[in-house]
Amino acid sequence: MSQSLAVGHAPPRPAAQQRLAGLEPRRALQLALGVLWLLDGMLQFQPFMFGRGFPQMLAGSAAGNPAAVARPITWSATLISHHEVLLNAVFAAVQLLLGLGIAWRPTVKLALGASVAWALSVWWLGEGLGGLLAGTANPVNGAPGAVILYALLAFLLWPADRDPSAPSVAARTAGRSVALGSWLVVWLGLAVLAILPASRAPQAISDTISDMASGEPAWLAWIDNHLASALAGHGLPASIVLAALLGAIALGILLPASASASAPASARRAVIVLAVAVAIVLWLAQGLGGMLTGSGTDPDSGPLLALLALAFWPLAAPAPPAVPAPPAGPAASAASAPPAAFPGSAVSPGEA
Amino acid sequence: MGAPAWLTGIFAALMLTVAVYCAGRLIAARRWRRPTEVDTDVGHVLMGVAMAGMLAASLRIMPAVIWEPVFGAGALWFGSQALRARRGALTSPWRCLHPAPHMVECAAMLYMFLILPTLSAKTSGAGMDGMSGSATASRFSFLALVLALFMFGYVVRVADRLTLPARALAFQPAGAANLASVLTAGSEPAGTPAPTGCGAASTARPGRPFLAPRCSALCKMAMGITMGYMLILML
Repeated sequence: MSQSLAVGHAPPRPAAQQRLAGLEPRRALQLALGVLWLLDGMLQFQPFMFGRGFPQMLAGSAAGNPAAVARPITWSATLISHHEVLLNAVFAAVQLLLGLGIAWRPTVKLALGASVAWALSVWWLGEGLGGLLAGTANPVNGAPGAVILYALLAFLLWPADRDPSAPSVAARTAGRSVALGSWLVVWLGLAVLAILPASRAPQAISDTISDMASGEPAWLAWIDNHLASALAGHGLPASIVLAALLGAIALGILLPASASASAPASARRAVIVLAVAVAIVLWLAQGLGGMLTGSGTDPDSGPLLALLALAFWPLAAPAPPAVPAPPAGPAASAASAPPAAFPGSAVSPGEA
Repeated sequence: MGAPAWLTGIFAALMLTVAVYCAGRLIAARRWRRPTEVDTDVGHVLMGVAMAGMLAASLRIMPAVIWEPVFGAGALWFGSQALRARRGALTSPWRCLHPAPHMVECAAMLYMFLILPTLSAKTSGAGMDGMSGSATASRFSFLALVLALFMFGYVVRVADRLTLPARALAFQPAGAANLASVLTAGSEPAGTPAPTGCGAASTARPGRPFLAPRCSALCKMAMGITMGYMLILML
């Protein structure tokens, strides 16, 4: 349909043109989140997930957790093992619908809200709270759990403005202080996890990475094996460097991000670029979430961290609201049909 | 273990539905003189039939060696259209104005037809219902992931625009009268999917709205999701 819009050489009407020209940053990030949900849904449709391996994988996340956390995990894994085909199909369909719901404007809020609930339940029952209480959490193995980042992103990309003049998508949505708090919790939390025993033991990071390499294509296994062998026996220095990097990213957000002052905005952008780069390196170390093994359920935390970082990209100050021109005919009246599709970060009609 | 037969069956049925619907679009567009993206619809008919055959062996009507040149030609066609569009050449409502995604779709079809025999040979089943791709089964699984991500990106982009006002979809250029000359200029390369609606172009009247643009978008989404699923199976 979209391809049918810009027909011939006729100039599209302003509102449609605005939609065709480009996406508002928040909407672009929402769509990226939708792509990840779609990907998750399709990964859930893989043959491996319809077998015994999936509930066994879920049950494995209970290990090391307190009984209050582990018992529901074991119960749900047992339930799934009894109805593995039906429940797996439902899980996949839910994730597919979340992706499509985020992409379709009238259901953005519903889908984002549902994704928070879904993500929180999967974080517990599917990922064992990311191993945070089991003492196994490590930024390289995907801590604090990819799925909790889906929930955080749904919150930070909610289609409403709390602070329209804030310098980033996340801050406009959640407010400056809440967005800042979210950033600090994630990145400082990762920095702290990087220096816990699960990361700083001599072979911890090396073993984590080499474990990821099994079943991967040769090129990815080569990267992970070489990375693992380079870090073998150097767990402590590696974890200190990683923690310092993550801490610098966390605190880098405190740099001013006013778009009017170009130098500070550049510094903030550099921090975001660094965060994206670290996320990509972590993703490689995570073996792309095991997606190329045929048994990965999601792309792991790397892409989510990158998306989170992009939600804090410094934005230009929002333009003042345009004064609507008086209708001058059928075309003009059609143009005014969707009011203020994407002025700055205003809520679009479908999202309101 | 391969993908569950019921699941591949559902996707195969969806693809056949899309193929039949797009064939119907071509007929309806000609009869009602309503523009439609002829190349896209022809491409969807071919892809729908081919993908249904890949998903369910019982629906296979032609061997891969026939499909490969078809989709190779399709990729060339959409690629040339993408270049034309990039150069700002005269566009037509009877051709896809954003051909790049369809070029990638054709390339993905070609990729799957080239890779599938390798994977099927390593498994007992025929077609995707008996296929269990593994990372070691293909040296190009990363390409499958990239293509799948592209498909999902295309799906969400199309879905994002589903709420555009219907009046915007019905807009028709004043230059529609030039369609006949455009479509009879013989610019189509040989071997590309035939623009079967060419005859209708000469009789299309300016101001005619596009034929069911939202249904067309839903077809694109169904095609993208199914193709993404098949590519994921190849990981």
